[in-house]
Amino acid sequence: MTRFMWFQLVSIFVIIALLTTICVVEDKLVQDALSNVKEYCYQIENAVVENEGIKNTKVNSLVENLEYSWLSDESKLCFVANHKSMQEIGVEIIKLKTYLEQDDIKEFSVSLRLIKLYADQYHHFMGADFRNVL
Amino acid sequence: MLTTIVRVMIIYIIVLFLYRLMGKRQLGQMQPFELVLTLIIADLATIPMAEVSVPVLEGIVPLFTLVLIHFAITLLSKASTKFSHFVSGKPVIVINPNGIDYKALKNLNLSIDDITEAVRGAGYFKLEQVQYAIMETNGKMSVFPKSEFAPLTVGDMKLDVEKSALPINIISEGKILKNNLEIAKIDENFVLKLLKDANIKKVKDCLVLTIDKNGSVFAQPFYDKYITFNVEPLGQVSE
Repeated sequence: MTRFMWFQLVSIFVIIALLTTICVVEDKLVQDALSNVKEYCYQIENAVVENEGIKNTKVNSLVENLEYSWLSDESKLCFVANHKSMQEIGVEIIKLKTYLEQDDIKEFSVSLRLIKLYADQYHHFMGADFRNVL
Repeated sequence: MLTTIVRVMIIYIIVLFLYRLMGKRQLGQMQPFELVLTLIIADLATIPMAEVSVPVLEGIVPLFTLVLIHFAITLLSKASTKFSHFVSGKPVIVINPNGIDYKALKNLNLSIDDITEAVRGAGYFKLEQVQYAIMETNGKMSVFPKSEFAPLTVGDMKLDVEKSALPINIISEGKILKNNLEIAKIDENFVLKLLKDANIKKVKDCLVLTIDKNGSVFAQPFYDKYITFNVEPLGQVSE
């Protein structure tokens, strides 16, 4: 084997390792981020039912947590996905906070449902999913 | 803008690395699958360069994947002739001693003009001068002339000539190429002696100095005419 052949062989193994790592890390990031969002949404829904309204500290702190969690996950997801394609969740969280201040439970619920929908739909272009292949 | 500059640098380096990794084929020598790969790579590389919202990884991952596919196809082509013929095709004889093979021409989607142009490109202006013309898998035409029209060679004349030797660059733009000294099996003192013979005072005044196995030296200063002379054959130059 010549030096160039060794270089090719090593490069191929490095590329395979790199691609595998990127795929695994991407999938983990996407699964964690989107399941966090859905988990917070369910918790907020339960808190709204338990407290019979949205104007309370529990819902307020859960929405804050949702925003914090999404912003930190979003910055990581930007390494693997086009951030223009995943800005809807951030926008809906801002709306959620506004409806919380205005005590508009109807619009609050719509936003919450939209966030869950987006969290499901983002799987269509992020992470490993064989439905996306075709 | 700074983001774009950094991204362009990253992608340029990666694309350059990938092309080096794939070998040194030139555009005209590419097989069909290599041409496809080149076109896709060029297209993919521009996406993260132009669109800042697209992560660099989204551009790099397809590039790396394409290179892996390229290696897989190359390996399979080497392992199986059938596979190689499938991806690259087979050389096809388009002119044989009976003339143009029109059936082959139609299969290759070529016209008579294409054939005559390729034959002229090979230095033959009459079709009857050609014994065989073969369309290679990389799209080039190889032309084998009839013996009466083939260029005369030293071998045909049965002449005894000095064996040609590869000249080795010893000085290039005022710098001694140390690697080539080892190949020519000479030392710097010998180079200085050659410079003296060529009337060049210093190494930095020499534009180029080459020497071959037969001891034939070519030396040119930066702003003067070149000089050639012979020294003792080196005898030990590894070609």
